[in-house]
Amino acid sequence: MKNLSLATTLAAVAFAAAGVPALADKANDTLNVAFTKELENVDSYFNSSREGVVMQRAVWDGLIYRDPATNEYKGNLATSWSWVDDTTLEFKLREGVTFHNGEPFNADDVVFTVNFVADPANGVKTQRNVNWMKSAEKIDDYTVRIHLKEKFPAAIEFLSGPVSMYPNEYYAEAGPSGMGLKPVGTGPYKVTSVVPGQHFVLEKNDAYHDSPKGQPAIRTIDIRTVPDVNTQIAEIFSGTLDLIWQVPADQAGKLSAMDQFTVANESTMRVGYISMDAAGRSTMDPNPFTDVRVRRAVNHAIDRNAIVDNLLKGSSKVINTPCFPSQFGCVQDVTSYDYDPEKAKALLAEAGYADGFTTEFYAYRNRDYAEAIASYLNAVGIKTDFKMLQYSALRELNMKGEVPLSFLTWGSYSINDASAMVSQFFKHGSLDDARDDQVLADLTVADSSTDPAERIDFYGKALKRITDQAYWAPLFSYNTNYVFKKSVNYTPTPDEVLRFTTMTWN
Amino acid sequence: MSDLSDPLLQEITGPTPGQLLRKRVFGHQGLIFGLAVVAILAVVAILAPVIAPHDPYAQSLVARMKPPVFLGGTWENPLGTDHLGRDYLSRLIYGARVSLMIGGIAALISGVIGTAMGVAAGYFGGKVDAVVTFLINVRLAMPVVLVALAVVAILGGSLTVVIAVLGLLLWDRFAVVMRASTLQVRGREYVAAAQAIGASTPRILLSEIMPNIVNNLIVVVTLEMAHAILLEAALSFLGLGVQPPTPSWGLMVSEGKNMMLFEPWLVLIPGAVLFVLVLAINLMGDGLRDVTAPENRS
Repeated sequence: MKNLSLATTLAAVAFAAAGVPALADKANDTLNVAFTKELENVDSYFNSSREGVVMQRAVWDGLIYRDPATNEYKGNLATSWSWVDDTTLEFKLREGVTFHNGEPFNADDVVFTVNFVADPANGVKTQRNVNWMKSAEKIDDYTVRIHLKEKFPAAIEFLSGPVSMYPNEYYAEAGPSGMGLKPVGTGPYKVTSVVPGQHFVLEKNDAYHDSPKGQPAIRTIDIRTVPDVNTQIAEIFSGTLDLIWQVPADQAGKLSAMDQFTVANESTMRVGYISMDAAGRSTMDPNPFTDVRVRRAVNHAIDRNAIVDNLLKGSSKVINTPCFPSQFGCVQDVTSYDYDPEKAKALLAEAGYADGFTTEFYAYRNRDYAEAIASYLNAVGIKTDFKMLQYSALRELNMKGEVPLSFLTWGSYSINDASAMVSQFFKHGSLDDARDDQVLADLTVADSSTDPAERIDFYGKALKRITDQAYWAPLFSYNTNYVFKKSVNYTPTPDEVLRFTTMTWN
Repeated sequence: MSDLSDPLLQEITGPTPGQLLRKRVFGHQGLIFGLAVVAILAVVAILAPVIAPHDPYAQSLVARMKPPVFLGGTWENPLGTDHLGRDYLSRLIYGARVSLMIGGIAALISGVIGTAMGVAAGYFGGKVDAVVTFLINVRLAMPVVLVALAVVAILGGSLTVVIAVLGLLLWDRFAVVMRASTLQVRGREYVAAAQAIGASTPRILLSEIMPNIVNNLIVVVTLEMAHAILLEAALSFLGLGVQPPTPSWGLMVSEGKNMMLFEPWLVLIPGAVLFVLVLAINLMGDGLRDVTAPENRS
């Protein structure tokens, strides 16, 4: 702890010495923002963090934009689009757009970007974001076609999210590492300084095209990595930061009681859930979780309302489905389980575990939530051997099927479609703990159908089967607290993306 | 009838060795303080189920982070509650068990290993000494915390793993000190005399050498016990030591850390108790050394 605080102090001194204005704010039109995690590479195709998404939306544009308030798709770099057939999309591109380095935007950039990212050999970090595209084809300078590998109804959603357009000439030369150090896009902000993982300075793009993102108002955005929440709060007290986000509920509560800060809370698509080894893949013998009564008992044992009200707070809600309710196809008419520890005990007794049993219990984040869950499980007789791992380690263990019980979360990459969550986990992939053939069949139909009504119908069937069999114990949705000075005006959106274009000074 | 002019008789009227020892003990404030604190904590740890006002595992999410009584809380939870609404005093009391158990057992394991190696090296010398010295150097070249972190990360944190790791890592100081002490006494006349009358090696080691170096051992035992307790707290703080929900002071500091700016007592209370225990053990060790050192005996 000593070393950590020493490091942060040193870092703060170093930044002060590096010439960061100590009290930059409204007076010199600079907004100071903190990132909690180090951003590994600014190139949005080569990082997988929330911070990366924030940078991506500020520096680059996609062909399409989804209005976060109305969920309506609007043209951004494309002005219109249409399906030529089930696997071909045609776009009319916006004319007169230039990249930050002066390179004009046209069909060549789209073709280059799509062909580059769709090629697995180029190693885009989150393959799911791009691997549904086969290639792009130039029709004329401002008309382009994207060919899909197979039917993919969520294509528009992905094109409005993670798929942003890169300048072909510059990217061919600079590559992902050059792009990470000196990013060039068409977005509302251009990057003027990058200290990898530490410090990013964004400057308003005065020549920004007439985009649905809106025109940037604040001249300079100064982003620093400050890993410790307490340091962030101390800095917002002292005035060296203007906006912090992902502030834990308890601290946000304390800050909201103070006059000088606005605390805004928005829900996110992240859903917390308990996964159980229903398929019996782990070495646990006998494996209680193969019995549906035990899985239902786990569902009944946890007081989700108490956890939401006291730990997550804000706009978090109890979730009954293995997907976020706003996602397309996430039908809410499913089997739900009330908090009823007596019923849980009765179900355990019925399954032959009247005296309970001991199981390993894994988690990778929110140790306090995991502890609270473990305590509820202990109360009905399920003793837990608690193990906290790094995300990558737990994911690997999960893929090998060695995890009997775990508290996990999934943010769906902010994609507003049930396929981003339920299909990710229940289609017999390595992370599928249920391996239910009926669910697989229903999801396969739902994922590839282009008829919205049919999709809803089949997602509904799959979700009913999953919740009835209690393969998971869906718990709650997450929320994010944004804390900023009263001089800043900002309304957060439910997709947990900081949108600098919508920030203004009061 | 005694003749008071006989100098031999006059000497006997002075205080007995027992009286002298008592005087030295009670005249040593550090020792008294250390002994008292360690004794009290040991009693608290042993009687934890009787003393603790609440179940340290009983969670109540509606009663989270209630302040301690001196910050406006109630006597229901004299030291407040933690981030899951568990009684802080009860967790502190059960945490004493974990700390003392880890400190005690780790010091015992490393004491047995280190003393055996050190005494053997010091007494036999030659190749035995060379091997032991080499092992000590190897051990000293490895940073304890780093090795402990790596092992715990691979095997997973649990009470048993932490005790075993610390016990198997902290023997270096025992070996160094015991070796040096043994070297000092092995050439003494009484050792030579014992060898001359044909005493067996174990006998010489146990009844000629050990009694004369055991005071050094006491100091090292206390030092290493305090060291082990601190290391356990550090490992638990990093999330690699004792796993929740087992109460551990290091874990309590870690869990309170995020709220340090607004609820500093969450960190201060377990931190202060940890500080007092480690200080007390060190004072006790210093005092015991002062009192039992052979040069003070006559």
